[in-house]
Amino acid sequence: MKIWIAILVLIATGAAVPAEPDPRIAVWSKLLPERAEVLKLKGDAARGESVFAICQGCHRVGALGRPDGSYPRLAGQHASVLIKQMTDVRAGLRSNPKMLPFADEHELTPQDIADVAVYLQALPVPPSQSHGPGDDLDRAAVLYEHDCATCHGAQGMGDAAKLYPRLSGQHFRYLLRAGRMIRDGQRHNAHPEMVDAIAHYTDEELSAVADLISRMGLADAKK
Amino acid sequence: MGASPSSVGSFLVASFAAVAGSLGAASPSYAASALEIAQTLCAACHGPDGNSTDPANPKIAGLDAAYISRQLQLFASGTRRSDIMAPIASSLATSDVRELAEHFAKSKPARGKVADPQLASAGRVIFRDGDTDSGAPSCEGCHLPNGVGNSRFPRLAGQHQAYVERQMLDFKNGVRTTNRLMNTVGQRLSVSEIKAVAEYIAGLPEGEPD
Repeated sequence: MKIWIAILVLIATGAAVPAEPDPRIAVWSKLLPERAEVLKLKGDAARGESVFAICQGCHRVGALGRPDGSYPRLAGQHASVLIKQMTDVRAGLRSNPKMLPFADEHELTPQDIADVAVYLQALPVPPSQSHGPGDDLDRAAVLYEHDCATCHGAQGMGDAAKLYPRLSGQHFRYLLRAGRMIRDGQRHNAHPEMVDAIAHYTDEELSAVADLISRMGLADAKK
Repeated sequence: MGASPSSVGSFLVASFAAVAGSLGAASPSYAASALEIAQTLCAACHGPDGNSTDPANPKIAGLDAAYISRQLQLFASGTRRSDIMAPIASSLATSDVRELAEHFAKSKPARGKVADPQLASAGRVIFRDGDTDSGAPSCEGCHLPNGVGNSRFPRLAGQHQAYVERQMLDFKNGVRTTNRLMNTVGQRLSVSEIKAVAEYIAGLPEGEPD
């Protein structure tokens, strides 16, 4: 009993308690059966180009996305991230009713997912993405450093192994739209720490950070 | 597509006579037989070279051979429903299907006609960009810029407006069930968008001299 009281006092006073891993993160990164299956397959970029035919009606030739943010750029995204997002959409974990009929089990096999992921990852990322108004970049830099850089990297390159998406090269309006959806709980498969990090952001702050990210240099621009 | 059962019957008689006649010839070939079938069975509706003049009947000239074969098989099995095409497709031997498909694939597709340039201009936006609000993809993503198609996605360029409109409405309403993805596309386009994009398709490919 005394121990429980002591723990409660520690929690209430904000004193350090042994850090437990956030159980929500285990849920987020759980290796679903289909993702496990896809990860066992070797992707073939040439086949992936053919698979991409049914994607490019929305994501555009070269997977460059649309400046209006309706569809993201996929070129240069980590294959591991693409595989997680596609399998999450198929499993109903990520809400994406627009995409689902074009990516469900009737259209794509696990091999198709493996193939298109390596194809997209290797595509060139030209510096043609759209930007925001550029009027609040100093504040955005502070926010990015504080809330985003640890996972997404100083240059927005993400982390393939940890399934953190690359952000650099993405269209401003898509970054803003995705940020809003994650903040507002509409995406359903967002990383819990990501949700926590931007939960308090205003629309203006989201816009400023999206603007900053859209202006990050592209080391592979001339690839 | 206007072939009546009696014309199918007369075709069978005609082709039987042709086969019987060819037995005496030096080297009967599938090509000659397919050409015979094309003229007697297909031409009345689809035109002698596969360029039909009746907008209700599709042009089949220049379609990919594998696509034509697949559609004939779908008509024969009833998966693609057509009271007109089902008995015709069912009457064809597998080798005939292949030869006919290759015959019409090689035929040069005729230019289509745009009756309403303003409508076609509205359709161009759908064809090139899709409808981002509803989630309808652009047509060109699969059917290629200018709608020339390939072995996976059929040629659309120059097709009759009325035929494309009918097919898209059939996809939209679930009457044509041969392609789930196209059912989704149809559902995400409005009736007026379908009308417009069909008008634009009739004028494809853009900028090619007559």
